[in-house]
Amino acid sequence: MTVSTLPAYPARSARLKRISAEYPHALGLLLLAPMLSWIAVFFIFPTAWMIWQSFSERGLQPYATILTSAIYLKVLLTTLKICVITTVGCLILGYPVAYVLTTARPSTRAVLLILVVLPYWLDFIVRSYSWMILLGRHGLINQLVTGLGISSTSLPLLYNLFSVSIGMIQILLPLTILTLFSTMVRIDRRLVDAATIHGASPWRAFRTVFLPLSLPGVYAACLLLFVSALGFYVTPALLGGPEQTMISQTIMVIASDLLDWPLASAAGVLLLVVTTSLLVLYSRFFRLDRMLGGMAR
Amino acid sequence: MRAPRASLAVNGLAGAVLVFLLFPVLVVVLISFSSVDFLSFPPPSLSLRWYRTIFSNFEWINAFLLTLQVGALTALLSTLLGVPAAFALSRHVKRGQNVVNALVLAALVTPPIIKAISIYLYYVPFGLLNTVPGLAFAHTVSGIPFVVINVVAGLRGYDRDLERAASIHGASPLRAVLGITLPLIAPSIIVGAVFAFMQSAQELLIAMFVLGTLEKPLAVKLWEGVRVAIDPSLAAATTSVTVLAILGLVTVMLAGRRARPTRVAVQG
Repeated sequence: MTVSTLPAYPARSARLKRISAEYPHALGLLLLAPMLSWIAVFFIFPTAWMIWQSFSERGLQPYATILTSAIYLKVLLTTLKICVITTVGCLILGYPVAYVLTTARPSTRAVLLILVVLPYWLDFIVRSYSWMILLGRHGLINQLVTGLGISSTSLPLLYNLFSVSIGMIQILLPLTILTLFSTMVRIDRRLVDAATIHGASPWRAFRTVFLPLSLPGVYAACLLLFVSALGFYVTPALLGGPEQTMISQTIMVIASDLLDWPLASAAGVLLLVVTTSLLVLYSRFFRLDRMLGGMAR
Repeated sequence: MRAPRASLAVNGLAGAVLVFLLFPVLVVVLISFSSVDFLSFPPPSLSLRWYRTIFSNFEWINAFLLTLQVGALTALLSTLLGVPAAFALSRHVKRGQNVVNALVLAALVTPPIIKAISIYLYYVPFGLLNTVPGLAFAHTVSGIPFVVINVVAGLRGYDRDLERAASIHGASPLRAVLGITLPLIAPSIIVGAVFAFMQSAQELLIAMFVLGTLEKPLAVKLWEGVRVAIDPSLAAATTSVTVLAILGLVTVMLAGRRARPTRVAVQG
């Protein structure tokens, strides 16, 4: 504790100081213990119980079922495809916004940050549903398309890969922008200015100086977006067709319709293995408190 | 220094993305004030009829109250557990930080379906199924990270000399933290708590598994609604929650802002 350099404590805190000197980690552990116990009891133990349930009744058979069934493998591939599209889409759309946030004046930045976080306040079930209104056969987009004579028939915009990706990108964009912004805001802009002064064009200064320095944020966002996208349930169910069924929907069907708990648990364990490995990768390289730039700051 | 045309293009692009981001929000809010009973956007004219509909409906009111109970308990627990942990992470724990960080992150982003089926199987022998605390206990796992992330960020921007000044004037370390540090980082704590509440209010899968089909919080009711009923009452229900949450946040923030300088003046 850095306060040890300070003079004149009452006796009570002198004792505290001695204890904390003898056991330097005691105070930290004491403060962490309630949260860690809670996470253990309501997250780790249930997950361990689920892993146990996946093996206990029929051994490895549920895993064999999933890994050899064409249907489940197809769902797995679809899920990965949608996650990749969503991640790339979010990065392409989020990068310019995060960049503008770093160049904006403080007052403008505050307003823009509020706008970026604003959608989070609206239930995501209802946000997906608003795309149903916009993209439907008689929705706003199709009214415009047919009204302006771009196409004589309405376009199939809903219940396909396009609508699922649009819906998921809209939901994950705030996370993208905040993650990118929290890295970009730490980049020393004078480096970019130095490049410009030495004759680099603005584009070249951006490409050779700013972009490489912002890459850690891009990688962090990549991992975070991909893991978040893996767990999506509502958006593909509302905006996708049968071809866009994602893994969470399949697990839901196995659990609540087929009532096959070992199979549902095994599918859950496989999903858990993927997300956990990505998270381990993330936490090796990035610090948690930088994650959302402290949400809205 | 930058070429104005390039910066104009970037600003334009960012503006377009913001429109894309915010347009669905606008659609929902406008449709909640629609005067007709079908979903057309933009609505032909505005009215409050859908707000009257949901606030005179017993089921919607019950759903609101249930969501409020679960969310409040979740926010409270997340704050009580998350704030001390944030202090530990930013001040006292050096070794093992990565492990704790990874755990907190896992609690946040592990797919909800995994949390839902594992907590369901786990609750069966404990009799926590179909109970409000049972759901709030599970939601707290995902609420804690919001508090920890915000408070750690708040502490990073906090000038610790203020606390040292209190110590020099004879305050015990605990009193310095409670009297000086906590009031000053209160905005971070409040934002974390409100986000913990919001994630609980929006969470669907755990709620479906833990509460079954007897008691329906708002998210479950909305989920059933979007798949059958096609009228604007859903938009009105969700807009009401949003407005309530934002009003709550603003009130607490304003109250905190007014209270803070005097508290610092008295105690520091």
